[in-house]
Amino acid sequence: MPIARSPKIAGALALALAVVAGCGSGDAEQAPAAEAQTRVFTADNGDITIPVAPKRVVATGYAVPAMLEADAPLVGISTWQRGIPLMSDEDRKRYEELPKIAGETAAETNYEAVAQADPDLIVIGVPKPVLADIDLKRLEQIAPVVAIGPSVPSMWRELSRKQADAAGSLAAFDAVRDEYQAKAKKLAEKYAAVLPGLKLGHVGAYGEVAKGNFQREFNGSWGTNVVQDMGATYYGEVKVKGGGSKDVSEYPSIEELPAAFADAEVITYSVKPDGSVPPPVQYALDSPLWKELPAVKAGKVFPLRYTEAATYRSAMRTLDAADEALTPLLNR
Amino acid sequence: MNALVVRKGPFSARLERRPLVVVAALVLAIAVLALLGLCYGPTWASPAKVFDALTGARGGSNVVIRDWRLPRVLAAVVFGVALGVAGAIFQGTTRNPMGSPDVIGLDAGAYTGALIAITVLSGTSAQLAFSSVLGGVLTAAVVYVLSLGGGVSGLRLVVIGIAVNATLTALNSWIVLRAELEVAMAAVGWNAGSLNGVDWDDLAIPFAIIAVLLVLLSVRSLDARQAALDPALAVTTGVRLEPLRVQLVLIGVGCTATVTAVAGPIAFIALAAPQIGRRLAGAPGIPLLPAALTGAVLLLGADLVAQLLLAPVALPVGVVSTAIGGCYLMWLLAKEVRRS
Amino acid sequence: MTRPRRGPGALVVGLLVALAVLAGVAVLSIGVGAHAVAPADVVRALLDFDGSSDHLVVRDIRVPRAVLALGAGAALAVAGVLVQVLSRNPLAEPGVLGVTAGAGFAITVGSAVGLASSSLGELLVAVLGAVAATLLVYSVGRGSPLRLVLTGVALSSVLAGVSLGMRLLMPNVFDVYRFWAVGSLAGREQSPNGLPLAVIAVAVVCALLLSRHLDVVALGESTAHGLGANVARVRLAALALITVLAGAATAIAGPILFVGLMVPHLARRLAGASVPWMVAFAAVLGPVLLLVSDIGARVLLPTGEVPVAVVTAFLGGPVLIWAVRRYGAAPL
Repeated sequence: MPIARSPKIAGALALALAVVAGCGSGDAEQAPAAEAQTRVFTADNGDITIPVAPKRVVATGYAVPAMLEADAPLVGISTWQRGIPLMSDEDRKRYEELPKIAGETAAETNYEAVAQADPDLIVIGVPKPVLADIDLKRLEQIAPVVAIGPSVPSMWRELSRKQADAAGSLAAFDAVRDEYQAKAKKLAEKYAAVLPGLKLGHVGAYGEVAKGNFQREFNGSWGTNVVQDMGATYYGEVKVKGGGSKDVSEYPSIEELPAAFADAEVITYSVKPDGSVPPPVQYALDSPLWKELPAVKAGKVFPLRYTEAATYRSAMRTLDAADEALTPLLNR
Repeated sequence: MNALVVRKGPFSARLERRPLVVVAALVLAIAVLALLGLCYGPTWASPAKVFDALTGARGGSNVVIRDWRLPRVLAAVVFGVALGVAGAIFQGTTRNPMGSPDVIGLDAGAYTGALIAITVLSGTSAQLAFSSVLGGVLTAAVVYVLSLGGGVSGLRLVVIGIAVNATLTALNSWIVLRAELEVAMAAVGWNAGSLNGVDWDDLAIPFAIIAVLLVLLSVRSLDARQAALDPALAVTTGVRLEPLRVQLVLIGVGCTATVTAVAGPIAFIALAAPQIGRRLAGAPGIPLLPAALTGAVLLLGADLVAQLLLAPVALPVGVVSTAIGGCYLMWLLAKEVRRS
Repeated sequence: MTRPRRGPGALVVGLLVALAVLAGVAVLSIGVGAHAVAPADVVRALLDFDGSSDHLVVRDIRVPRAVLALGAGAALAVAGVLVQVLSRNPLAEPGVLGVTAGAGFAITVGSAVGLASSSLGELLVAVLGAVAATLLVYSVGRGSPLRLVLTGVALSSVLAGVSLGMRLLMPNVFDVYRFWAVGSLAGREQSPNGLPLAVIAVAVVCALLLSRHLDVVALGESTAHGLGANVARVRLAALALITVLAGAATAIAGPILFVGLMVPHLARRLAGASVPWMVAFAAVLGPVLLLVSDIGARVLLPTGEVPVAVVTAFLGGPVLIWAVRRYGAAPL
C-alpha cells in the first residue's frame, strides 16, 4: 500500500519513524488539492496514475541526465558515471549534490534510500530486461513508478521527452529540443552536398567489446544516430538481430574487418570526451587489416566525440563535435 | 568469557553446561545482529522505533521495517541456519572440515540448473527453484558416485568436487555467452548471491521447505550424532549407516539448493559455520545446533557488512562472504599444517 | 610410482609422432577463423604473400595467435611437469595451485597503478605475482597433495573476490580486470609478445637441462643425496623456472587452468619415468592441447568466441577427477 502523504498522516509519520517522515513533514503545507490532480501515463510497466505536477522526483539510469536537463524537481538519482562528461557544468553540479539512491546497476538499488528521498514520482530509465532486477512492487509502495527505458539507442529522443513529460517538465524540455533540431537542420544543409550520397561505417566502443573483436554500429546506434540527423547514412545491417541495441550494432571478430567496411566510403569511430581513443577502437585502428580498408586509404576516417549522448543538450555537443570532425569532407 | 565461567565448574558439569552457554550466547548474538539489521538503514531507527513498528499496525511508515527490513533479516537468519546445517551434515559425513557443499560444487550445479531454467524454459520462479534444486542434487550425486571406491572421507571427495565445480563453471559461462543479451543479464544478476530486495512473497515457500527439512533432520539427528561419534558403535546399536548418510546428505543438498534458488550462491557460510560452531561448543564431532546458529550469525554479519561497505549502494552479500570465507579456508588449512 | 623406462628408439618415434600432430593442429588452427579463407589461400599466404586482406588475416592475426598458443601451452605444460615432479604430487598444476591466478591479479593491480605499461614491466609483475602465490600456497598447503590443491583453489577465490570488490569500488581503474580474470588468446596479436615468448623459450631449454637432475631428485631425497645431487639447489632452480614459466604464460594469455595438469599425465604415459623425456613431450603436447582448445574456443559459439580458459577448464575437470581416482592422495 502506498505511503500516504496527507498532512494528517505526515504528522503521525514524524512520530513513528524518521525514514519517511523526515522529509514528509516538509510537504505538510502543500494543499491537498494539488495532490488530487492526477493523470494516467502509459509506460513500459503499464498505465500508471501519476501526479500532474510532481514535486519530488527520483530518477535512475538513462532518466538521470534527461531529468537534469529538463530541470525536473529531483530529490534522488542513481549514479550515472558514463553521462558525467556530457553534462553541462550546472547539471554536473546538481548531479554531484543530489542524494544517490542506487549504483550503476539496477540490482544495486537501495530501496530505503528511495523511500528516504520521499518522492511523489519515480522514473526508472533502464532497458526492459534489466527491470527484472528491480523490485517494482516495493518501489510502488513509495510512489507511482513509471519505467521508461531504451531498447534501441536512437530512441532517446522519444524516451527523454516521455521522461520529462512524466516529471511535468515538458516546457523546459521542448525548448532544448527545438534548439537541437534547429542546429541539426542547419548542419544538414551545410553538408547537403556531400553527406547524403556517402556510405558510412562506424567503429564503436560501447558495452563490453571482447578481446579480438570490434564493434560495428549501423543506423540508429549510439555513435551514429546524431550524425544521421546531419544527413548521414550508415549502410548495412546486423547479421543476426539480437534485440535492443543488438539490432543496430554487432561485435564481429577482427578478421571480419575488411568485409565489414569494404563498401564504406567514410568511416567514423568513437573517441572519449577528452579525445583519447578507447582501447577496443585502438585495437581496430592498429590492426594491419585497418590500413587496407578503402576509406582508410582514401584518408576519410574521422573520430567522433560525445557519441554516448542521450539527451538533446548533450547531443548538441555531439553535433558540434561531428561538424568539427567532418569539416574536411567539405573542403574538396 | 563463556569458557572461563565454565572452567570454574566441576568437570562433569562442563560438558553439559558449555554447549548450553554457547547456544545461549549465539542466540543472543543473533538477536543483537538482527536488531542491528532492523535498525540500520539510510536512516537509523532506534530500537524503540523498531519495536513500535513490529508491534504496531501494518502499513504507513512501518512498511520499511516490517515489510522490507524484517524479511531481509529473517532471510539471513533462516538461510544462515540452513547453510550452517548443510555444512555440518557434509563435513560430518565426509569427516572433513573442507567437505562443504559450496567447495564441492553444489552452487555451480544449482546455477547450471537455474541457467537451463532461464534459457530453455521460460524462467518462472517455480521453474527456477525446481531446476536449481535438481541441479544441486544431481551434482551432489555425481560427486558422491565419483568419490566412491576410496570412501567419501578425506580430501578426495573435495578435490573431485573442485574438478566437477571447474567443469560446471566452464559450462555455465558458455551458456551465458551463448544466451541472448536479455537472458544473460538476468542470469548474471542471479549469480551475484544477494539478499537485496527480498520480500515476503519470495520467502514463503523456501521457509516452508527449510522448516520441513529441519524437522526431518531433528528426527534423524540422534542417530546422526551417534554415527558421527563412532560408526562402529552406531552399527551395533542398530543404526543402518548408509541409508542414514544418504538421507542426511539429501537434507543438506535440499537446504543449500533452496537457499541458492532464492538468493543465488552465497559461498563459504556452509564451510565456516560448522567449524566455528564446533570450536565454540568444544564438542566432539560436528554438532548441528551450534553450526546452525553460527551460520545465522555469519550471514547476518556478512549482509550487514555488504550494506555498510559501499552505502548507499547495496553490495551483493556473496561478494563479501567469498572474500572473507576464502581467507578463512586458507587459515584453516594453515592451522592444520602446523598441527600435523 | 615407477614405470619401466622405455627404449630410446620408441621415445624418439613417439616424439616425432607428437611433433607431426602438433604441425597438423597448428595448420588447422591457422585455417579456422571467423572469416573463411580457402585452404589454398592459407598456404599461399604463408609461402607467397600478396598483401590481400585474406593473406593479412592469415599472416598477421592467425599465425601470431598460433605462436602465442605454442608458447603459452609449452610454458604451462612444462611448468606442470616440474611442479608435479618437484612436489611429487599428481594433482599439482600452476593453474589449480593459483599461481596463474596470482600472476593475473598482479597484472590487474600493476596495470591499474601503471607498473605494467611496458612488456618488460608486465612480465616482471606477472612473475612476481606468480612467486608470491607459489610461496603462499606452498607454505599453507604443503604436506598433502590434496591440501595443496585446496589451498590453490582458496587463494584463487580470495583473489577473485578482492578483484571484484576493487572493480566495484573503482570501476574505471579496474576495468582491465575482466581481461585478466579469464585467459584468452584472442586479440593479443598486436601486443609486444616477443619478450615473454623469448623468456619461455629459454626457460623450456633450462627445464630440459635441469630435468636430468630432477630425475635423480624424483627418486627420493635420501637416494638423491646418496647419488651426490645438490637437492636444495635443484629444487630452487626448478621453483624459479615454474614461476617464470607460469608468469610468462599468464602475461601472454591470462590465467589458464588445467593445461599443466592434463599434459604431464599424458606425457608420463608416453615417456615412462624419465623426467627429461617428460619435459620434452610436455613441450610438444602442451601446445597441441592449447591449440585444439583454442580452435574449440573459436567454433563453439555461433558468433564471437569463448575464452580459451573456459574450454581448458571444461576439458580439465574430468582429467582431475581421473587423476584423483587413479592416484588418490598418495604422492607419486
